[in-house]
Amino acid sequence: MKVSPDYYDEIFQFMGEWDMPSACGLKIRKAKGKTYVIVTELYQDNPGTSVTYAGRKLAEQICDAKGMKLEDITYIECNPNTNSKLSFYDEEFFEVDFGSQERPQYRQLDREEIMKFAQK
Amino acid sequence: MRTFKLKLIYPKWQKLKGQTTFNLPPHGPVAFAATLPEWVDVTFTDENVEAIDFEEECDGVALSMMLSTQVKRGWEIADEYHKRGKLVMAGGISTMLHAEDMVKHVDCVFLGESEGRMEEVMQDWVNGKLRKFYNYMGNMPPIESVGPCRRDLYKRELYNHKGVQMVDLFHASRGCRFSCYPCAVSYLGGRKFRPRPIDKVVEDMAAIDNNRLFIVDNSLAQNKEWEKELFTAIAPLKKKWISHTIEDDPEVLDLAAKAGAWYVYQAVYDTSDYIKERVKRYHDYGIGVEGTILLGLDNQTEDDIKRLIDFLGEIDLDLAEFTVMTPFPHTKGYDDLLRQGRIFDFDWNHYNAGQVVFQPKHMSPERLQELYDYAWKSFYADESQEQKMFRLFCNVALREMNEGTYRPRDRRLANKSFGRDVDRTVRNVNL
Repeated sequence: MKVSPDYYDEIFQFMGEWDMPSACGLKIRKAKGKTYVIVTELYQDNPGTSVTYAGRKLAEQICDAKGMKLEDITYIECNPNTNSKLSFYDEEFFEVDFGSQERPQYRQLDREEIMKFAQK
Repeated sequence: MRTFKLKLIYPKWQKLKGQTTFNLPPHGPVAFAATLPEWVDVTFTDENVEAIDFEEECDGVALSMMLSTQVKRGWEIADEYHKRGKLVMAGGISTMLHAEDMVKHVDCVFLGESEGRMEEVMQDWVNGKLRKFYNYMGNMPPIESVGPCRRDLYKRELYNHKGVQMVDLFHASRGCRFSCYPCAVSYLGGRKFRPRPIDKVVEDMAAIDNNRLFIVDNSLAQNKEWEKELFTAIAPLKKKWISHTIEDDPEVLDLAAKAGAWYVYQAVYDTSDYIKERVKRYHDYGIGVEGTILLGLDNQTEDDIKRLIDFLGEIDLDLAEFTVMTPFPHTKGYDDLLRQGRIFDFDWNHYNAGQVVFQPKHMSPERLQELYDYAWKSFYADESQEQKMFRLFCNVALREMNEGTYRPRDRRLANKSFGRDVDRTVRNVNL
């Protein structure tokens, strides 16, 4: 269940839940004055917490590392296509609003929306 | 140094409706107890088979929890001990899965595997410096340091049904290299398969005063060479054992059968010829099969589920266990359903794999619940779960008789079931 490197520019190491060493794929794109941060779940190559479970904690670590502010970015989680027979491992993208609610709010994006800014 | 008296408790949980309940001696608490320093005097209470004596003298309490359905009961127990001025520590699988909640209810949360860690923890406790967290997540101890469990703590007569001793749980490895959709094992035990040294496994297994075991490893089919070595090494012990999946390879299956494979849990996830043949291949080697069938996945419509249930009748399963998809924290299932806003119930008491807590993709939660109930009733319509289990039991007893390892049932406990008197007028369900 290897994730294609096409999904990311770099592997971002982060401290997950309970400071577990964790890793995700990371792409940062700027388009039309906006900064898009796309984090990709690496499954077997992520030794710790999933990007979804890490949520805001991961977003904050990326912002700290890259000199950005959380309120200035559009944060997107990516379930990569792993060519699994199981549909659960098909490609999916979600824009995440950490907002003020107890749990983050998610909005699923289609690939076309992503492609508008995800290409290099 | 003076002795520290630790009361170790395994909280009870509500058993699933309509299913035959067998209380197996829990593995987590005695694996943990084996890691305590010698100066800790530990007593063990499994609340599923005996009541907790809250007045029993102790210096502190440790809760060992495996299931999500145990955590809320664990908090109630902690409250009781807090009223008595005792500190409570929690650890185990469900403590790790629900640690954010757990920390609000206990004095100390232990995360990770306890081998090589407990001297520090207990010293802190004795010195009045017990920390809120001991966090060893992702920092696994050497697998060689895993030793024999403290099975001497079991009150054996409580794990006995009408004179028949229940299987002992045993682990030959930790961790899992797979990332299965509904499973949290790779989060808990790491994404690397960590097999125990074969000589330690053999030594540990040989010392268990029980000829019937359940090897609880997530999947033995993770390293074929190790698997072959393991089966070859344990064969002379003449134990009979249950396990999860075994490698689908004639040589491995043959070695497994010779090593005492009794029956396996095999996921039945579709109606393919592959599944049919997989079950047949186990049977060809004399290994029974309990199908595990997960209902409510996004790729299942109502028709798919009905077809799957019908299919079970065609593949000659010895037993079947049905569960509904349950989004346990730290699984991909949880992540996906959370993002899609489909989890409507976060009451951990309902996370028993028999109650629908999310919105299925192709039907209502109520309909999935109905199909789950229908699956149980349908599979066991002609022959009850107890009757099918009895057939499997007879199989193993015959094999043991042929090998001279059969132990007759304990007649003194013939009228007891898990410590309680058997009521011969009522079927033994939902104890």
